[in-house]
Amino acid sequence: MHKATRILTVDDSPSMRALLMQALTAHGFDVEQAEDGVEALEWLATNEVDLVITDINMPRMDGFGLIENLRGSARHTDRPILVLTTESSDEKKKRARDAGATGWIVKPFDAEKLATAVRRVTH
Amino acid sequence: MERRAPLRSSAEPTKITIMQGQARASGDTSLEYTTILGSCVATCLFDPVAKVGGMNHFLLAEPPSNRDPEHFDEHYGLFLMELLVNETLALGAKKSRLKARLYGGANIRDGLAPIGSANAAFARSFLLRESIELTQEDLEGRHARRVHFLPSRGLVRCRTLNDEPLPMQQPLRRPKSAGGDVELF
Repeated sequence: MHKATRILTVDDSPSMRALLMQALTAHGFDVEQAEDGVEALEWLATNEVDLVITDINMPRMDGFGLIENLRGSARHTDRPILVLTTESSDEKKKRARDAGATGWIVKPFDAEKLATAVRRVTH
Repeated sequence: MERRAPLRSSAEPTKITIMQGQARASGDTSLEYTTILGSCVATCLFDPVAKVGGMNHFLLAEPPSNRDPEHFDEHYGLFLMELLVNETLALGAKKSRLKARLYGGANIRDGLAPIGSANAAFARSFLLRESIELTQEDLEGRHARRVHFLPSRGLVRCRTLNDEPLPMQQPLRRPKSAGGDVELF
């Protein structure tokens, strides 16, 4: 059996973190969690993941800042980053794409669609 | 601000009805949000520093005690709460400063699953988990309520509609547009 896909989720809402943990572990993924972009970067400095799933609106460092930071580091150039957000504006989506996001998922998320997207970008 | 201040200022405010499934926020001093609640719950959030407030209105399907927790669409409830929080943040509010008030969640009659109570419980637990202070609630019971909220001042007036039948409100199903669609770039 191969190693489970390891995912870092970044979201400031404890409720959303709990839902993501439940949905992703139920699909057999290995899940780590950070509360905002700053905490995510600190954790990623010493840990490896296959995929980052990040919210946009967060204190300290938002999702755009996190994506820009990761893309600025050679270690994370090719790391898949999915944005999971309540935002639906084309302008924000374009900003995420320009910053280097791999995909865009609107909340409320569907656990099956999310799991399918995770497999597609990490295979 | 527990006092029930008169909602009248120099000019009559522009009333905006918050419908089920909506979340709106504003700092506009001329606006008043209003809604009628049966089993539905409305959350009013207010940041006293930014002077920005917002309101949502929801009724999630089926209480979790009703055997099939899948029917209680917590994802959608969470989405509507997050939408409300984000609407206020976009106008300069800070999550740590937000004060919340909850209204509605009436139960229609005996023998039916207490869907109002289940929605009230969801709203309370959301605020608790998110560390948003609940400063006032007027929840459950058997009567409909009409809520008026001045978002720029955080003032609420909640009137119990004793003589009117509880409006029959259908639980909220997610709109098709809220299907968690994935777009890969």
